[in-house]
Amino acid sequence: MPVFRPEDEIRIRELLDALERPVELLVAHGPEETPLPGAGDLDFGAETQRIVEALAALSANVTYRVEEEPDGFERYPAVAVLPEGEDVGIRYYGLPWGYELSSLVGAVVEAGKRESSLAPESLEALAALDRDLALDVFVTPT
Amino acid sequence: MLLAYRCALASPRIRAAAIEATEFPQLADEMEVRAVPRIVVNRVPQWDGAVREPVFVERILAPAFE
Repeated sequence: MPVFRPEDEIRIRELLDALERPVELLVAHGPEETPLPGAGDLDFGAETQRIVEALAALSANVTYRVEEEPDGFERYPAVAVLPEGEDVGIRYYGLPWGYELSSLVGAVVEAGKRESSLAPESLEALAALDRDLALDVFVTPT
Repeated sequence: MLLAYRCALASPRIRAAAIEATEFPQLADEMEVRAVPRIVVNRVPQWDGAVREPVFVERILAPAFE
């Protein structure tokens, strides 16, 4: 089964072609939690890698690599989005399918921008931050 | 989700993770995830639902998280 519907593929290709700098995706494999009943025999790690491969195939601006239990990951499978190969702390934990595929594509698009999409007021407020913040956003694919 | 990613890109002090709740039920349970998106800051559940950028930035920077 193809990863993207044809109309989505065209749109994603356009978005990725507009990237201003290269983005690398790091697929992290490791011990996975037991999935919920109903998940069947789905191999979350393999599916995650398949989606990332398909994304990278759409644009020369996007590359990927795969590692086993790399440093800096709390659970698996995971994808790190690395602008110009640099780890700035962006992660997607789990299989980015369904509605959540757009979160991963969105992360790549944002990482590919040289200028922040945030408003100047927001950037000013963030620049004054004097402590570390870990933002976890729980999402579902439907 | 994108707001969290944008903040991580804008500040070296911020990291942002999306966590697929159904795939990590134990963690989702610990963070009392009942609705999505649920926003957790420094491992403390904060609020549910999408908010506009100024509100998002204000909330994550609130002194309560110090």
